[in-house]
Amino acid sequence: MKLTLKVWRQKNVQDKGRFENYEVSDVSKDMSFLELFDVLNERLINEGKEPIAFDHDCREGICGACSMYINGRAHGPWEQTTTCQLHMRAYNDGDTIVVEPWRAAAFPVIKDLTVDRSAFDRIIQAGGYISVNTGNAVDANAIPIEKHDADMAFAAAACIGCGACVAACKNSSAMLFTSAKVSQLALLPQGHPERTSRAEDMVMQMDKEGFGSCTNTGACEAECPKGISISNIARMNREFFSAGFTS
Amino acid sequence: MLNAKIPAGPLETKWSKYKSTVKLVNPANKRKLEIIVVGTGLAGASAAASLGELGYKVKVFCFQDSARRAHSIAAQGGINAAKNYQNDGDSVFRLFYDTVKGGDYRAREGNVYRLSEVSGNIIDQCVAQGVPFAREYGGLLSNRSFGGTQVQRTFYAAGQTGQQLLLGAYSALERQVALGTVKQYTRHEMLEVVKIDGKARGIIARNLTTGKLERHFGHAVLICSGGYGNVFFLSTNAMGSNVTAAWKAHKAGAFFGNPCFTQIHPTCIPVSGDHQSKLTLMSESLRNDGRIWVPKKKDDQRKATDIPEEERDYYLERRYPAFGNLVPRDVASRAAKERCDAGYGVGTSKMAVYLDYADAIKRYGTIEAGKRGEENASEEEIIKMGKGVVAEKYGNLFDMYAKITGENPYETPMRIYPAVHYTMGGLWVDYELMTTVPGLYALGEANFSDHGANRLGASALMQGLADGYFVIPYTIGNYLADDIHTKAIPTDHPAFVEAENKVKNTLDTLMNIKGKHSVDHFHKALGKIMWDKCGMARNAKGLEEAIREIQALREEFWKDVRIPGEQNELNPELEKAGRVADFLELGELMCRDALQRNESCGGHFREEYQDAEGEAKRDDENFAFVAAWEYKGPSNFDLHKEKLEFEIVHPTQRSYK
Amino acid sequence: MKWSQFFSTSIGKKLLVGATGFFLCTFLIVHLAGNFSLMKDDGGQAFNLYADFMGHNLLIQALAWGLKAVIVIHAFLAIQLTIRNQKARPVKYAVKPGNKTSSWFSRQMAIMGSILLIFIVIHLANFWWKMHYGGIPTSVYDGKKVGDLYTVVWKAFGKVELVALYVVGMIALAFHLVHGFKSSMQTFGFNHPKYNGMINFIGLWIFGILIPALFALIPVYIYFNKI
Repeated sequence: MKLTLKVWRQKNVQDKGRFENYEVSDVSKDMSFLELFDVLNERLINEGKEPIAFDHDCREGICGACSMYINGRAHGPWEQTTTCQLHMRAYNDGDTIVVEPWRAAAFPVIKDLTVDRSAFDRIIQAGGYISVNTGNAVDANAIPIEKHDADMAFAAAACIGCGACVAACKNSSAMLFTSAKVSQLALLPQGHPERTSRAEDMVMQMDKEGFGSCTNTGACEAECPKGISISNIARMNREFFSAGFTS
Repeated sequence: MLNAKIPAGPLETKWSKYKSTVKLVNPANKRKLEIIVVGTGLAGASAAASLGELGYKVKVFCFQDSARRAHSIAAQGGINAAKNYQNDGDSVFRLFYDTVKGGDYRAREGNVYRLSEVSGNIIDQCVAQGVPFAREYGGLLSNRSFGGTQVQRTFYAAGQTGQQLLLGAYSALERQVALGTVKQYTRHEMLEVVKIDGKARGIIARNLTTGKLERHFGHAVLICSGGYGNVFFLSTNAMGSNVTAAWKAHKAGAFFGNPCFTQIHPTCIPVSGDHQSKLTLMSESLRNDGRIWVPKKKDDQRKATDIPEEERDYYLERRYPAFGNLVPRDVASRAAKERCDAGYGVGTSKMAVYLDYADAIKRYGTIEAGKRGEENASEEEIIKMGKGVVAEKYGNLFDMYAKITGENPYETPMRIYPAVHYTMGGLWVDYELMTTVPGLYALGEANFSDHGANRLGASALMQGLADGYFVIPYTIGNYLADDIHTKAIPTDHPAFVEAENKVKNTLDTLMNIKGKHSVDHFHKALGKIMWDKCGMARNAKGLEEAIREIQALREEFWKDVRIPGEQNELNPELEKAGRVADFLELGELMCRDALQRNESCGGHFREEYQDAEGEAKRDDENFAFVAAWEYKGPSNFDLHKEKLEFEIVHPTQRSYK
Repeated sequence: MKWSQFFSTSIGKKLLVGATGFFLCTFLIVHLAGNFSLMKDDGGQAFNLYADFMGHNLLIQALAWGLKAVIVIHAFLAIQLTIRNQKARPVKYAVKPGNKTSSWFSRQMAIMGSILLIFIVIHLANFWWKMHYGGIPTSVYDGKKVGDLYTVVWKAFGKVELVALYVVGMIALAFHLVHGFKSSMQTFGFNHPKYNGMINFIGLWIFGILIPALFALIPVYIYFNKI
């Protein structure tokens, strides 16, 4: 296949940035989307140009590092798929593909397609944990947990922290990310002692980081590579109200 | 002879006796002691969090943009623990026994027993943190059997156990960051260990965003930077996984243990072309129900589904009737290679074998039909029901396979081939996890570890967390208790300046080569040498050639690598270059180690040492030792030996027939 | 958490937007019920008495001012949140996903809301302002003299441009509520597989279609049956 790539290039956080066009030929349908970038980068290096910087690591859809906004879609056109798992079978000869970084005030661009997602770490620091020091735990089977709740907690915990929810949301809201963690810990009895402060603190941190607010468009759920449901957002709202009304 | 400092006394009481007699540091002193942790995988995150909780001043570093992205996250299958929740006869001793045997008798008994002892605590700790393990309808934890063990001791969270455990450790770590006990440095790469008076006293790290070099002091330094499987270029490791931190420690005086012990995982998706950047693992659990075969005819061009039953060779079932498709990883991998090398491979590359679910689908379909009382169900209906059951058990893996290959695994057998997965070798550590450099520790996959020559499935997560949560918090006190009078050393100390200059010079040199070839060019070339000559099967001639080829490649690298961009900015090519430079040195050491080990054991298979049927021949008389290599200069390594004593588990030949 | 803190968070604000929106939805039902008396063939008696009652009952008056306050709060907070949301993405995407990831309605809340706000101002100026502060003709029923809003309304909707404005207003209302109703439920935390179908049904068919359609029908009916 022969493809035209229109890729966002930005030297650093101060640079204004611009699109640059690249023609890539001999694209195999078996390539992953990131392997296409490897091939292009190899060529750029050989031509004495600077390769395109992009975040990636595990390349099996679980680390959450890859983060390209492809033709208007976070992680490209396939459902529940990260960019690294997207394969070129999704495209046809002659296609033009526009690749942009995640765009959000809370995710400043570091270089090209690489953005700074440390805001997510700070949201977790605000309360995305259970305060149990090593060695304090009781026997793992001491607290039975209803399978349904455990399964729902797992479904929320499957979040890979990639930021596609923020990228896909027209408001750059981090509600899906934050609510996934709040939900996971609200669904488990271990998380109950801190649920009030957790909901309050994580929501306030989320606001402080400059993410937008949720208008329930559902774009986050549609683009989440792990299929995290917006029912988690509803649950976080409940958690937040019960915290706000009673504490 | 190296002293591993294993406590005296009966195996069962070694660790408890150690814990109750080890030196302690009082809380007021802990506040003054600084610890550097490099890496935020299971070992690093759990260690940093636990040490922070104890009151130490901790600094934690990772090259990723967040601590949560360390490659532990990708572990699929599960984590072993001797809980015996299933009442099937499991015990600390059995887990210990299985691990020593599975490691082909190349691990330390004392360490492995400790690992088994704390395995249960890990599960308790993780559940308390909110790790959502799979549960039964009664609300209690579920277990499965894994990697061919006879008991069900593996705890799991769908196919994402590593992710859930890592996020548990990460959340504990972030909590400490919020409490101010831990300072977190993401997008930072450790590039040198700083030694003062023979002790590890800090590191030089490069801020990957700005390119600036930073000096960080610590009373102790913990290397938790994972394994070095990426020396093969293609592996199941993450793209960024590297040996740099461990290698710098090695060059600073830490011995490197058993570097040639690498694990090749049998069930990975095969290479699809030159563009391949990494290999994807399919969980070992697939072998529980799938049958592995190749055509009986060489170079058979027919479609898999067109090959009749009698023309298929279920070679694992044929060679190992007792264990069949569930033989350990090393055995399964070698058997696949043997078939492909003999010309029976499938797929376009001919470097793949089939993993077939047709029988399982039929079997499950029949059971399901029976459950529903539909005795007269047609073949078609049975297959449909069977597919449903298989989808429930393995759906996510099948989807992943379909995404990557574009084939439907419910209809046609999957193609699989072995790939580099885990490295049992690593920095040599004693019972306290300290390397041969005082104050320098190694945890998790980065140390030469408790897995001997072959790691059993679901044991890596166990070891990483055991080291971080339950071992280092005790053992580090024994060292730091004598260090309470050492004040924080200012980073303008000559040792820091010298170390930084050394790093600076290396970076300058790399940037100034301005050669013709990209870093990946060299990495791929190295990977090919390693895979061909130091991979699943090795021989003396090949290893000798490999050593020469690697030396030549290294020379070429330092003359001809091209790194675009600048030093003082985000420069992924420069990062890669530094890592590949280290792989180019490590690769040679791996070959040397493989060459000296004149036996076949676990993941190390020397073609010269096999029996008439092609099974590995171990040599306990001459090679029951840990090979610990000391760095003496380029291409110059001294071999030290730690003799392995087996007081409880007496080595026998591993037989799976 | 103090109330001031609570309502300064994005979720606290959204709760207020949702709650005021939900209140306005229930008001629509009352308003619509009243409007039906316009159609009664009694020369406007029922409607005028109803309008007079609404205009002079103290409780209703208080509620009416409350209603205006609710509209102001709803609009003010929604605008505040929208500005915040705009700031959350200073550099826009070159390619947008269109309707692939979200419904068109859900993305037009601010625009539809703004059209509605303009509509409400005109609507109030036309009828409420006139009735209270402008002079309108009066009618006498059973010795009681009341304003003849009925005639004002019937006359007004004889003009095609006003009817068109009302139809446009109601389309904006429909589009606003197709997403608005169920969105408010999600904001309140009502999301449960057992009830989501019902919430979606009410949001789409009752508030998104039925109520705006009935509202729009009245001016159209009057136009075609003008005095």
